[in-house]
Amino acid sequence: MSLDTATLPNGFAMIDSAKSISVINKDDFTTSVKRATFFTGSSNTSSQTLLNRMIQRGADGLRLGLVIAMCAVGLSLIFGTTGLTNFAHGEMVTFGGLVAFLLNVTMGIPLLISAPIVVVLGGLFGLALNVFIFGKLRRRGVGLISQLVVSVGLSIVLRNMYLYQFGGRTKPLNDYSQQTVMRLGPTSITPRDLTTAILSLLVLVAVALFIQKSRTGKAIRAVSDNPTLASSTGIDTQRIIRIVWFAGGALAALGGIFRGLDEQVGFEMGSRLVFLMFAAITLGGLGSAFGALVGGVLVGIFVEMASLVVPSELKNVPALLILIIVLIVRPQGILGRKQRVG
Amino acid sequence: MDWINIIQNTCKALTGVDAAYFALAAIGLNVQFGYTGLLNFGQAAFMACGAYGIGMTSKYFGIGMWWGIPIGMGFVIVLALLVGIPTLRLRADYLAIVTIALAEMVRLIVRSVRFKQYFGGSDGINGFSLHFRELSPFDPGAQYGIKPFQYSGYTVWTLLIGWALVAIFATLVFMLMRSPWGRVIKAIREDEDAVRSLGKSVYSYKMQSLIIGGLIGMFSGVIFALDRGSVQPDNYSRDVTFYILTALVLGGVAKVSGSIVGSMLFWGIFVFSDNFLRELTKDGPLRIFGVTVMQKIQVGAINYMLIGVGLMLLMTFRPQGIFGNRKEMALDAR
Repeated sequence: MSLDTATLPNGFAMIDSAKSISVINKDDFTTSVKRATFFTGSSNTSSQTLLNRMIQRGADGLRLGLVIAMCAVGLSLIFGTTGLTNFAHGEMVTFGGLVAFLLNVTMGIPLLISAPIVVVLGGLFGLALNVFIFGKLRRRGVGLISQLVVSVGLSIVLRNMYLYQFGGRTKPLNDYSQQTVMRLGPTSITPRDLTTAILSLLVLVAVALFIQKSRTGKAIRAVSDNPTLASSTGIDTQRIIRIVWFAGGALAALGGIFRGLDEQVGFEMGSRLVFLMFAAITLGGLGSAFGALVGGVLVGIFVEMASLVVPSELKNVPALLILIIVLIVRPQGILGRKQRVG
Repeated sequence: MDWINIIQNTCKALTGVDAAYFALAAIGLNVQFGYTGLLNFGQAAFMACGAYGIGMTSKYFGIGMWWGIPIGMGFVIVLALLVGIPTLRLRADYLAIVTIALAEMVRLIVRSVRFKQYFGGSDGINGFSLHFRELSPFDPGAQYGIKPFQYSGYTVWTLLIGWALVAIFATLVFMLMRSPWGRVIKAIREDEDAVRSLGKSVYSYKMQSLIIGGLIGMFSGVIFALDRGSVQPDNYSRDVTFYILTALVLGGVAKVSGSIVGSMLFWGIFVFSDNFLRELTKDGPLRIFGVTVMQKIQVGAINYMLIGVGLMLLMTFRPQGIFGNRKEMALDAR
């Protein structure tokens, strides 16, 4: 059965990658009625100019980039302070989304109240991972590469635990799921997305100020720079590492809530994001918090802009390109230090 | 509880096609991870090269299926150069990051609608292994072997080819690692700077190791595709690499026998727990003290959780696996 796209009303088109042909087999007729669904939506190619589309994509990309940056800061700080490349960081993002779902949908607590709880729980989750797994490994003297493989194992365990509890389908959060698009200059955005974007920006500025200005922030930078030297000046390195894991977990959980609002909540939502996070921290410089902020925003914008050129199902592919080009041209990234690389 | 069935399936899994293709992939990964210390997390992408190589040639190019093998080798070399050139000069985890991204990219590309005419989209490529089946000297209807190791004629044929390839590559790797080339490779794992000071090009040796391991992994994809008679993009997701890594670490890193025994044990344990849990939940959800702990559809997730736990515990408490030598696990020299 095929849909003649020429007969669609003006201004409507097939949604990207949806098929205009639907195949129904004889065996499918278990009931007497069989429906074929065609996914159409308002067409945005005919009425918009290239410039408009670029601005819209840029705005979407900035939004995605802010969330990536928020999740990646923790990843980069954990790397900086402990040397661990944490492949389970995506699962910390998923944790935020799923706990938000549990509180908001299953228990019916409004999102504005449940979100702070989720963020704290996310922080405690990060702390727990440090206390019960990675801290123990460090004390046993397990090497960094082995710790990396352990984090891979952990990501498999957590992802399947989520699958076990939550099931394989993606589900929306209760609050703010139905919204009308409003115009904002040349771009269109829902009030929800605008709010999350502003909130992410505020959080990131707060994180940057914290790292730059506060005493603890200074200590974090010192430990990132040289753990031995930092501890010899009287900084409690283990305390700093605990703070970093807590902050990383909390930020990842907040990122998970925002992703869950933007798309939907699912057991794989974080692991889909994880390699964009890696691209971000590689671009910004492994171990540098500011690098992760800059890299995250740039990767987000690049990925969304790329979808003007490549089909949207392949829009993550150019991120691999960024990774490869950065590693060839400037392996330490924009803000990274050279001695970390080789 | 049908114990006879469970034990029979477990025994079959020990020597089955799954163990054979895992063993091939693990031998390849062992060259990279075990001997050279390269963290290749994209072995699934190299397997996909082989599988899609034979699938595409027979289905879309109209040339014989076996041309797929050289084409797949070409894919492997291109991908290995793509990830190797930027990362092999850098610290070990860069390769891990780039290869894991590569595996995901390859999967996205082969299942995309845009390239459907080449790779078949999310349905993959089906029905191309007729050629291979025709070569089989065994009667496809009959059962061969003694119980519990009993397989149908076509499976026996795939098994024969698969395990023959395992034997060939195992011998090859065994001999390679005793050659001067292998000594350089192992020295790179132990101390890169020392090797460099002896005038060897560490970069070029690492690249060779990455390509050789990838090529062996490619044959694993070929066997897998021939057995199933189809290529599905989601069979080459990034987790597959981690399962192979688990099998490798279980058997023992930097030992040829380790990758083979590890793969057999991995599938033995996996099939046992899968069958066992399915039997438990056969007559409705499993309840302990009135609380539902497991339903039938959750069995898969629990099984994969066990793999993850296994990988974590092995890496922490026995990184050398069953046969390995702890001294050979010097991955953390740097």
